[in-house]
Amino acid sequence: MFDLLAQGLGDFLQLKYLVPLLVGTLVGVVGGALPGITITMTVIMVLPFTFGLEPLQGLAAMVGVYVGGESGGLITATLIGIPGKPSSISTTFDGFPMSRKGEPGRAVWLGIWSSFFGGLLGGVFLIATTGWLAQIALQFGPWEFFALFMFALSMVAGLTEESLAKGLLAGAFGLIITTVGTDPIMSVPRFTLGTDFLAGGFPFLPVLIGVFAFAQIMTDIERARSLAVGDAGAGQIVSLAVSQMKVVGEILGRPFLLLWSTFVGILIGVLPAIGGSAASVMAYDQAKKLSRHPERFGTGTPEGIIASEASNNANVGGSLVTIMAFGIPGDAVTAVMLGAMTIHGIQSGPLFMSQESALAYGIFAAYLLAHPIMLAIMAIGARWFLRIVTVPKSMLIPVVLVLCVVGAYALNNTMASVWVLAIFGVVGYGLVKLGFPLAPLILGLILGDQIEVNLVRALMTDSNLWLFVTRPISALLLALAVGSVVFALWQRRRSRSVRTDEPDTDF
Amino acid sequence: MTMRPTRDMVAGALGLVLGAGLFALTWGLPQSPFVPIGPDFYPRIVLAATMLLGAILVVGELAHRRRPASPPAGGRNYRLVALTFLAFGLYILALPGLGFRIATFVFVAGLQILLDPPRGAGRWVAVLALAVAASLPVFLIFERWLSILLPRGAWTGI
Amino acid sequence: MRVLTIAAALLACAGAAQAAYPERPVKLIVPWAAGGDTDNIFRPFAQALQKHLGETVVIANIGGASGTVGAREARGAAADGYTLFAVHDYIHLTYFTGVADVAYTDFKPICSVASTPSVLTASPKTKWQSVPELVADAKARPGAISVGATLGSTSHFFPAIFEKAAGIKLKYVSYDGLAQRMNAILGGHIDLTDGNLTQKGKVQAGQLRFLAIATEKRSAEIPDVPTFKELGLDVVYAVTRGLLAPKNTPDAVLATLDAACAKAVGEADFVKSMKAQGTDVRHLGRAAYGEFLKRADGENKALAQELGLLRR
Repeated sequence: MFDLLAQGLGDFLQLKYLVPLLVGTLVGVVGGALPGITITMTVIMVLPFTFGLEPLQGLAAMVGVYVGGESGGLITATLIGIPGKPSSISTTFDGFPMSRKGEPGRAVWLGIWSSFFGGLLGGVFLIATTGWLAQIALQFGPWEFFALFMFALSMVAGLTEESLAKGLLAGAFGLIITTVGTDPIMSVPRFTLGTDFLAGGFPFLPVLIGVFAFAQIMTDIERARSLAVGDAGAGQIVSLAVSQMKVVGEILGRPFLLLWSTFVGILIGVLPAIGGSAASVMAYDQAKKLSRHPERFGTGTPEGIIASEASNNANVGGSLVTIMAFGIPGDAVTAVMLGAMTIHGIQSGPLFMSQESALAYGIFAAYLLAHPIMLAIMAIGARWFLRIVTVPKSMLIPVVLVLCVVGAYALNNTMASVWVLAIFGVVGYGLVKLGFPLAPLILGLILGDQIEVNLVRALMTDSNLWLFVTRPISALLLALAVGSVVFALWQRRRSRSVRTDEPDTDF
Repeated sequence: MTMRPTRDMVAGALGLVLGAGLFALTWGLPQSPFVPIGPDFYPRIVLAATMLLGAILVVGELAHRRRPASPPAGGRNYRLVALTFLAFGLYILALPGLGFRIATFVFVAGLQILLDPPRGAGRWVAVLALAVAASLPVFLIFERWLSILLPRGAWTGI
Repeated sequence: MRVLTIAAALLACAGAAQAAYPERPVKLIVPWAAGGDTDNIFRPFAQALQKHLGETVVIANIGGASGTVGAREARGAAADGYTLFAVHDYIHLTYFTGVADVAYTDFKPICSVASTPSVLTASPKTKWQSVPELVADAKARPGAISVGATLGSTSHFFPAIFEKAAGIKLKYVSYDGLAQRMNAILGGHIDLTDGNLTQKGKVQAGQLRFLAIATEKRSAEIPDVPTFKELGLDVVYAVTRGLLAPKNTPDAVLATLDAACAKAVGEADFVKSMKAQGTDVRHLGRAAYGEFLKRADGENKALAQELGLLRR
């Protein structure tokens, strides 16, 4: 095993593999950093270029995009508070406040180093357990998936600072959004009012871009006295330089947090169809629940950044486990990677590791090497990336809005996605004004279709509803979901006596 | 004392109204011979939960009879927010007709002027340069290298 | 404001000149997500086609609502040959089952490209080694054996044809797309599904079992797997994928595309990638593909009626 890995790493000394990996990582960082351009989109853009390459060259470029993208998202998330892609959402919760408190350098480098360590730990996991972990995920039938999603929703509703009812209501809004359009089983139009536009439903990404971009931009516009300046002055560029030793120490000084976030990321990555956004949100929530100072979360605590960024990079490792062991994509990005493998005539699946071992270990090597490359790109480019925040808001806002439109349009090549973007821009701003937390809304959006599909599947497979509580894994997950709600209620009751005023929480 | 609705009351009422409105629409959906539960089953659960949560929120607020939080200090520029939404709306409505390049040029230039009226020739040049940069090269890069065809104008042909 | 007008006028000059078709990139609408079966077939095809067309062919994935969002978009596109539509048999099915109002007659045929035969695939957790064993078991406990399928689409119709031919009753569970079905069948959450030759590796590893292939003759790729015909069941089913253009596209443009398509399907790279995907290259020209679509439309209507799914 180690000689194969060594050989894989050795392959990347050749320029023909190193260059695609390098370019892929750079493109990933840029794509991940740009709000409205997701990793999925970036990897789809890279896909046509990989057709002309050798399989390992193409896959190295894609692994680079994936790793670079997960890290790149943290730049915009921490510096301007707009997640560059969905899995940076939880990075904004603490990264942005820390950056606004005058420590953008610390926030960014905490994120980068957490990504680095989380990713590498994910890589160790990937190499060690590819076969074994996927066996567990395979045991998940529709009952277990349904229970898992319930657990995820109940946990994230506990994220909200305000009432649990409001958090759950936001989650329900997310679920409602996914019920609009044709139903996922028989394609019966629902809530479409007879229009073609609504028949397509509300695609997840335009909704997400709309809700986040407009909630952020419009809040900036309403508050700002002058839009002639950026969020950061020239002085803050200098402050991006922080003591790397200190930042690394801050992360490694919390080994339990790092390992646990990494574990959550890997686990969510291995489970198909959940993806990085759920991983970072869940890891963030876990970190908050387990912290000795949960009240500091959301105000710029380093733990929040570490949990979110370590988990979303570890999630990449987890997704690669599933795609390499079973040929089952864990998310849209790995679905595209699987497509690229199929086009090159590579059979993914149980035989992949043994029949295509050179390629498999090549992918491992690419994944491991992408992390130091990402670190180098950040070290050279982070100063440059910070210029985004010194650009006056009046110039940044129109460009971000145009990129959001381009991103929404390119996802599906229709103006319909752009209308959805605009509608949910207004909705998102309205919800923020009513004090709704956005994280449960987004999780509801991500999981909505899957919850319904797995519920229907469970009933189609066996009409016995008791299976949800008699199948052990499903029962355990549902018990955890109930426990999570009860715990959140108990925690609030305890803290209600302390806090009585209604805070103005826009985010 | 007259009861001014609090923010949570409005939020709860929104859940109630949305849940009830959509619940009414779940009647009459066709059933399938293959699926044991109809396409109305799951939405009804979600909508019922929404109404329940909305009710909890409203009742909770009424029971506490908390005074509405005082409006946040400092003026908020809602006029500019509305104008930005308007500009964005006009932009995407014009996009299919004018094509990406013209619509984006006008939008990027226009919104910059709206958000921060330029003073002096230097600023005008910067505004126009950014508008050109956001339209022409973006279109070219996406079409030539990223294989994404941004909209061409139905009225203008470009 | 005047500056803006001038700049806009300058921009307008860029695309003014008109020349012979094609003089700018052609958009090929794939009505499913990137990375799916259809996408994997049309991406290498687009590469081959652009070589012979002389202009870039850009894939536009317009997914959603069982492929009908992309179909509507393609129907509404300008009929100038710059928007093409990648289609398979679902277009008939979604029309007859009432999911969409888009029919194949809203388009003009250009050519067919590839045909993927269906293989009846069983979970390793089942005990049947052959179709007769499966049929006997299914007769003993009707409605108990589960099939993963995209309801109302090709993966639903293939097992339904088998069901009818063998006189058995199966239970359908909704799993959209091959990837999800493979996950479920590997975990033993469903018993049967419509597979294809891309799953050969999993069969060799003992993770899946191919029971029979729905072709006229055995496939050279899997010579051990019998055809349904050999077993006395009249089940022949393949998903044929082809290229369409909006209805009013000029004949000259269609002829150019047809000619380019005929050469593209012969490209070595395309043939190689189809073989890797367990798909046969199947080329029919404009007229022949038109005939094929017409026949398939009739067959699918009859099928939908027999299954009680006909809504038109």
